[in-house]
Amino acid sequence: MLQRLQDSAFSMWVVGSDSLWSYPTILTLHTVGLAIIVGAAFVIDLRVLGIGRDVPVQQMRKVFGFFWTGFAVNLASGLVLFAVDAVHKAGQPVFLVKLTLIAVAIVITARIRRIAFGTAADGTSTPGDARSLAVASLVLWAAAIIAGRLMAYL
Amino acid sequence: MYGFITWLESTGVSTALRNTTWVWPTCESIHFIGLTMLIGAAGFFDLRLMGFMRRVPIAAAKSFMPYGIAGFALNLVTGTLFFVMRPSMYAFSAAWWAKVFFIILAGLNAMLFETTLGARVLTLGPGEAPPTSFKIVGCVSLLSWFAVLYFGRMLPYIGTGN
Repeated sequence: MLQRLQDSAFSMWVVGSDSLWSYPTILTLHTVGLAIIVGAAFVIDLRVLGIGRDVPVQQMRKVFGFFWTGFAVNLASGLVLFAVDAVHKAGQPVFLVKLTLIAVAIVITARIRRIAFGTAADGTSTPGDARSLAVASLVLWAAAIIAGRLMAYL
Repeated sequence: MYGFITWLESTGVSTALRNTTWVWPTCESIHFIGLTMLIGAAGFFDLRLMGFMRRVPIAAAKSFMPYGIAGFALNLVTGTLFFVMRPSMYAFSAAWWAKVFFIILAGLNAMLFETTLGARVLTLGPGEAPPTSFKIVGCVSLLSWFAVLYFGRMLPYIGTGN
């Protein structure tokens, strides 16, 4: 199955074409999406940790919109990057580590949204467990980036 | 310039760093982390300058900026190390020069903002429409940083002369 995915006409075009619009652009889109996802998470986590306290809670909810938009971009571009190299990547432990880190980081970001930026939150106080979640989020996203980069080497 | 590049590549520092196995991947990982810090903090502030999220006081939107600048500092250090390790790969790449151009543009844009327009930042309250000059500065900054990211990531693919 993975082999067929990798040998599909689309995969062949992505890796075989000399066009800048094939593989290089998809790879760049994945980096643009990364900047948006983790950039948004960075601002959200800093806000939970007490930076930018004067930014109203309702306005911070918009940052989550960027977070999910970036995630959509990277889910799509990531699926293509996986398809063109499916057999190799599926057997790469560091790739599975990266996916796990991202899954946990996403769950944590969704929890932060609920407990620190939910309807009950007024922004005057941040629940203590939101602060530990924010620290966990920063560590997990950094680790996911490192795992992603190391996919080129391990 | 050719002489300088050849000299730099042959120095002991360049050779030693280049031949130490994990230096390059480690710097790459830090460079990617740094870019998310910069784009996150600067992107938030730039969007506010452009007139989005008007309920955010501009001074509050700016409070993330020191962390964005920390990301830029990480990338300046790791970027310099990349150049020291493989100067010929960068100096003869059109994409790298485009990247440097946009870094300088973003820097000058930020300096212009800080030295001339910035003082008006604190007087602008929540809900107030930003002046056109703010919108231009925010837009130039946001586009420049994404151009820096674009030319950085496309560096192996464009303008290498191959």
